[in-house]
Amino acid sequence: MSTLIFTLKSSVTQPIGCRALTPNNLSGKTLPEIKALRLDAQHSVADVFDVTGEATDHVVFKQARPLLHHIGYQMKTGQITIDGDAGNFTGAAMQGGVLICKGNVGERAGDAMRRGILLIEGDTGEYCASSMKAGTLGVLGKTGARLGYGMKRGTLLLVHAPIPQAIWLDCGWHTLPFLNILYKSFKALDSKFAKLTQMRVQRWVGDISGLGKAEILVLSQD
Amino acid sequence: MNINGVQIDDTFAEAFNMRGTRVIITAQNLKWAYNAANAMTGFATSVIGCGVEAGIERELTADETPDGRPGVSVLMFAMGSKVLMQQLETRMGQCILTCPTAAAFSGIASEDQISLGKHLRYFGDGNQVSKLIPDANGVNQRYWRIPVMDGEFLTQETTGMVRAIGGGNFLVLGTSQPQVLTACEAAIEAMKKIPNVIMPFPGGVVRSGSKVGSKYPKMFASTNDAFCPTLKGVVKTELDMNIESVMEIVIDGLTFEDIALSMKVGIEAACSLGADAGIKRISAGNYGGKLGQHHFKLHQILQGNLAGATTA
Repeated sequence: MSTLIFTLKSSVTQPIGCRALTPNNLSGKTLPEIKALRLDAQHSVADVFDVTGEATDHVVFKQARPLLHHIGYQMKTGQITIDGDAGNFTGAAMQGGVLICKGNVGERAGDAMRRGILLIEGDTGEYCASSMKAGTLGVLGKTGARLGYGMKRGTLLLVHAPIPQAIWLDCGWHTLPFLNILYKSFKALDSKFAKLTQMRVQRWVGDISGLGKAEILVLSQD
Repeated sequence: MNINGVQIDDTFAEAFNMRGTRVIITAQNLKWAYNAANAMTGFATSVIGCGVEAGIERELTADETPDGRPGVSVLMFAMGSKVLMQQLETRMGQCILTCPTAAAFSGIASEDQISLGKHLRYFGDGNQVSKLIPDANGVNQRYWRIPVMDGEFLTQETTGMVRAIGGGNFLVLGTSQPQVLTACEAAIEAMKKIPNVIMPFPGGVVRSGSKVGSKYPKMFASTNDAFCPTLKGVVKTELDMNIESVMEIVIDGLTFEDIALSMKVGIEAACSLGADAGIKRISAGNYGGKLGQHHFKLHQILQGNLAGATTA
C-alpha cells in the first residue's frame, strides 16, 4: 500500500502542531504543495519533515518524537501511523479513520474524539480520552492519571488496569462477543493490536460526574 | 421428457417478484443458533397468511460469521419492502433478542438497507452502546450492544434488502403418499445444498397447493382440486387414475438462476427414485402465465438452461 511519509528532521527541537497533516486535509495535494503547507507561523512542512511517497489515505510519521502535537486532529478518514512517540492531543477530535501510535503519547490523547479508532501501543500521559464523545481508544501500555476525565461515550480498551477513580463504576467481569468483531478489524493493521484475542474483560462505566455512558474495558490477563 | 421413467410435464412454474433479505444468526453453539433461527423462521411458510416466507439457508462455521461463533443464515422474503421491514423487526425482537447468546448480523450487501437492530436498540433503555467497526473492506458497520440478562445482545444496525423471486415450484406425483413423500425428502436434501434459496413450507414440502378463487366469496384461494387425487372423478382433473398423491415443493430465491438450479437438482433427486418407486410425473403450478413475472419451464431447466425465460 502506498503511503505518504513524514520523517521528522533531527534538527527540530521546538513543539510542532501537526493538525494539518491528516489524510483528509492532504487529499488531492501534490508533494510540493504538501511541503509548502504552513504548520505554524515559523514552520512549513518542509522545515520540519522530509516528505516522501504520495498523497494517499495512509499517512506515516517516522522518527516521531513527543514534540509532535495534535497528530490526527479532526482526522476523518484513512489511516495515520506514528513510528515513535507523539506529543499531546494525539487523535484529538478524531471523526473517523484509524490512528496507530507505535510508541508513547503525551497528554489528552483522544480528547473530544467523536468517531474512529485510536490505537496506542505504548503508554499515555494524563487525561487520556478526556471529554471523549464516542469511538474506540485502545492502549497496550500504561495510562496516566485522570483517565477518561469527562468522557461521555465510547470505549477505552486497556491491557493494564488504570489508576482507580471514583468517577468510574465497576460493572464486573464479562465475555463480550463484540470484541471479536473489533479484533477482526484490527487484523488488517500493522500493529500489536492485531494479536489481541482476549474477549474476557472487566467493564467500568463512567465518567459519572457527567453523562456516564462511556466504558473502560480492561482485558483479562488469564 | 422422461427421467428414469418419470414423466416431466411440458409446463412451467409461475413465480413472482419479491423483496428479500439475509440475516446471519450466531450463538454460543449451533444448537442455540438453530433455536433462534427456528423461532425467527417459524410461521413463515406463505405470505398469504404469515406476511413473510422464511427459512434457514445453511449452517455457517465460526470462520464464516462476523463474531467468530457458529451460526446459520436465514433468508426472508415478502411481497413488498414495507412488510419485509415490519416482519424482520418483529421477528428480531421476539425471536433473536429473546434467545440466549444469539446475535444477528447483516448477511447481504445492498444499497437498500433495512433495520435489523436500529430500533431494537431502544430496548436498552438508554444503556445501549453503539460501535462503529470497519469490515474487511474498510467500510464502517454500525453495531448495537444491548444489555440483556444473559450479558449483551449484539446486533448489526441494518441488513441489505434485494429484489428476489418467490414461488418457484414443482409437483411430485406418485402412486402412494409414502412414496411421494420419500421422493420429496430426497429432493429437499439435494436442494438444501444450493445457496440463495429456501423452501419455506414444513420440511420444505407443501401438500395443500391452491388455486385462485373459491366458491365461497370471502375466500381468495382454495384447494387445487385439479391435483387432488380424491376428486379425480368429480372435477376436471389433471391426474391419471394411478396417481394417489401429489406434493409440491415451493422455492424462494435471490435470483432466477438460483431457483432454476434448485428446481433442477430437486427434480433430478426425486426422479432418481424412479417410476418403480412409485414416482410417475413431475409437474408445476402456474396460473396460466398471467399473474407471475417469472416462468420456470421444466424442460428448459432440466436441459441445463438455467437462465430460462422471464416474462415482464
